[in-house]
Amino acid sequence: MILEYLLIIVFGGALLTYFLGKISSKLRNFFAVFISLTLIAIISCLYGRPLQKSYFHFLNLPLILRLDPFSWFFAIATQTITTLSIIFSLSYMKGKERLNFYYFSVLLVNAGMLGIVLSADLVSFYIFWEIMSWATFLLISYNRGPALAAGMKYIIMSIIGSTAMLIGIISLYVNCGSLNIAQIASFITQASSGYTLFILIAFCIAFGIKNALIPFHTWLPDAHSEAPTPFSAVLSGILIKMGTYGFILFMYAIAGLSVFLNLGGGSFHYILSLLAAITIIVPTFIAVLQDDAKRLLAWSSIAQVGYIILGITIGTSLGFLGGLFHFFNHAAFKALLFLGVGAIEYRTGTRDLNSMGGLIKKMPITFFCVLAGTLGLIGVPLTNGFVSKWLIYKALILGRHPFLAFIALFGTWGTILYSYKLIHNIFLGQLPEKFKNVKKIPVSMRFPILFLSLVVIAFGILPGIPLKVINTIAASFGFQPQNVTIWGIASETGVLNMVNIFAAISVALIFVWFLFRVGEKKLSIAQDNNYAAGAYIPKDKYHYTVEFYEPLFRMIKPYFKDFADEFYLLLVRGGRNLSDRLRKIYCGDLSFYITYIVLFLAILIILKLGLKLW
Amino acid sequence: MVTQVFEIIGAPILAFIIGIFFLGLFRKIIARVQWRYGPPIIQPFLDLIKLFHQRGFSHGPIFDWGIILSLTGSIVLILFIPFGGMCALSSSGGLLVILYIMLFAPLWFALSGGEGANPNISIGISRKFILALGYEVPFLFVLLTAMSYYKTISIVDIVNAQENFHWALFSPLFLSGIAYLMILPAILGVRPFDIAGAPQEISSGPAVEYGGRYLGLFQIEHAFSLFIGIALFVDLFLGGGGNPVTFFIKMTVVFILVVFIHAVFPRLRIEQALRYLWRWPVAFSLLGLILVLVMR
Repeated sequence: MILEYLLIIVFGGALLTYFLGKISSKLRNFFAVFISLTLIAIISCLYGRPLQKSYFHFLNLPLILRLDPFSWFFAIATQTITTLSIIFSLSYMKGKERLNFYYFSVLLVNAGMLGIVLSADLVSFYIFWEIMSWATFLLISYNRGPALAAGMKYIIMSIIGSTAMLIGIISLYVNCGSLNIAQIASFITQASSGYTLFILIAFCIAFGIKNALIPFHTWLPDAHSEAPTPFSAVLSGILIKMGTYGFILFMYAIAGLSVFLNLGGGSFHYILSLLAAITIIVPTFIAVLQDDAKRLLAWSSIAQVGYIILGITIGTSLGFLGGLFHFFNHAAFKALLFLGVGAIEYRTGTRDLNSMGGLIKKMPITFFCVLAGTLGLIGVPLTNGFVSKWLIYKALILGRHPFLAFIALFGTWGTILYSYKLIHNIFLGQLPEKFKNVKKIPVSMRFPILFLSLVVIAFGILPGIPLKVINTIAASFGFQPQNVTIWGIASETGVLNMVNIFAAISVALIFVWFLFRVGEKKLSIAQDNNYAAGAYIPKDKYHYTVEFYEPLFRMIKPYFKDFADEFYLLLVRGGRNLSDRLRKIYCGDLSFYITYIVLFLAILIILKLGLKLW
Repeated sequence: MVTQVFEIIGAPILAFIIGIFFLGLFRKIIARVQWRYGPPIIQPFLDLIKLFHQRGFSHGPIFDWGIILSLTGSIVLILFIPFGGMCALSSSGGLLVILYIMLFAPLWFALSGGEGANPNISIGISRKFILALGYEVPFLFVLLTAMSYYKTISIVDIVNAQENFHWALFSPLFLSGIAYLMILPAILGVRPFDIAGAPQEISSGPAVEYGGRYLGLFQIEHAFSLFIGIALFVDLFLGGGGNPVTFFIKMTVVFILVVFIHAVFPRLRIEQALRYLWRWPVAFSLLGLILVLVMR
């Protein structure tokens, strides 16, 4: 019963938010936050309580909702990120137009995502999937202008994905006679491997597009950078991970571990891993070349998705743990980074990395949070990203995939390059004259980013808390459970113990700090004091940020173009040319059409007469 | 437990002494190559005492905390590296953690420098990251080859597998060993790869704004990074060492080799360095990896 109420609350809440907005904007804001907090409370109370409920009959197919550890894990992550984004929106979106519509759409996306993770049959899955996709389209194109084009690109690719999914669903219905996920799973075990491959490819196209796996990624950079920033956090943090959810559902819940790993002689999962590896390496270096903060983060999202898919598809217990944990971590730190960049955009009005600098003096809390986010993104020890990446690397090395491991590790250096560029160009160096009066950000913006940085650090030191949940999920899919402790992981092939690392870093830090404190007191001086050696120098920008990695840029630029995007654009251009030719015939002028009809009749008559003559 | 505490305290102190000794040796050998007498071998230590007596200046909080955390990272890293039979944190994550903590020091150092407004800093940091990206490719191949060959991610196991003169340098890993030697000057930041520091060109790059205690901490950090780069080579390819003395002798031999390279080569430009690093060392290390994969 409670699952139905959950969906009723979120769908009803979305509608009610819209109408309350007609009365008072304060009431609407309060209600939207209230609804999402209620949902967090309900979902967290449902932990560890498996539920199943048939709620409707459609064409003799029961539509079922269910809750298991796997869907609970995704539901709580979804709800947390969306709630934080809504709280952030309160001040970020203040004064913008069509706000009722905005909150309605965000809650609708939230409803769609919750529906996806709760549905236990493919009809409800498909319906909620479409609700989510279309509501996302509304939000991506919210800003109009270039956002409309980005939204169009997104929805076209999304429809292609949905069509592939629909083909798969219809084929399953015809062959299996049921769309219940449990029944499909038992049907797949008897089906031929060719048919399983067909089903998996159809669904992988749909999920790959949503998950922005190369070569289906081209919608993402535009959509992420054009969407309203609080929604970009949802988009990157959790929405694209619905593809990950689908991947895991079809690979491990429906096809099953052994079927998936042996499909196509074991090559299918390896091809997916290779795609994931390409998804790591190419977007990482495209991100290094970006100058727009949100676009940089968008490309980085694609790259991090590569890590998640790589961990999941490698098919070992450690890899699965790492992949799913990285999903969770990425949701935390990427949402944090998007919100942080949004906070800066809110105060400075720009997200151009070349025109900022020195904001650490004006926005120290934002700096701290964004720093925590980038450290998580790189995977520095004592942040959550470290643990998940460690698990993925170890799975790759022990699974004898040194080249995949190389790509994953090398991607980390690329990550350092663009993360440092993000931090340095925004916060470090000199403060431009025009940002001298920038104020701190309001509380409703500070709370989400502080909360998320707490998550990043806390789960870096105590990774066992989420890993225990993930371990039960892995066990339910037939993986060998790992020996997870609250401090890390202890397996026979190697130990990760965060408490040792934490203790070592703390002790060393205290020691170095004392070393730093001895002797003369330090002197705080202006930035150009030492450089000018006391002489007068004109007030100007001296540190450089523009084209920060110029020598590298020159070397890699010819190789790191978005070839997939260019190919799709070629297709679009071809289609448009074809339509232009057709338009010359179908010109819309009635007299032409009449001419065509008369000509056609004349030909018919001639043929008829000709036939008769002969 | 008592030995572990002793190792945790002893390892950084030993690393400090060896690193400072290497800095002195470095100046002495270069002086002799150039037909000068050179400073006394304890000169870097005397410099440190002097620097800690001088007054440092700061540009802001991250300027301080960056250099503190950078040095912290190096000290923690030393606890993970086996040193002639002692390894303080042998069972906490192995070579993968080492790889990651190796990022710690340059990253925090770059963040610290970033607070300054001196153009030399940003040029130096940009070069440092690009150079690191360059040597990271062969370096990762080398480490992955070692991990695949010995089928472990623990560096202590790798050292133990090389006991009784089964040195990895004279095993199928020799190609990787050569590749590591080829990138060792880049890892240590000596000529021809002292591009990030480049004293005559960009006035020591990221360290240009440091004075007093800050410069002192930077020197210690530099000494540690010399120790780490060479100790890793000795552990991976020269069989570690049964006791600290043999380990130290092996390190000194490798270090003198590096100093000779430093003494004769001029500095490369960053593009030239990147091109070199992505060509020959990558070729050697890749061949080494393929060789190991084919053999196993």
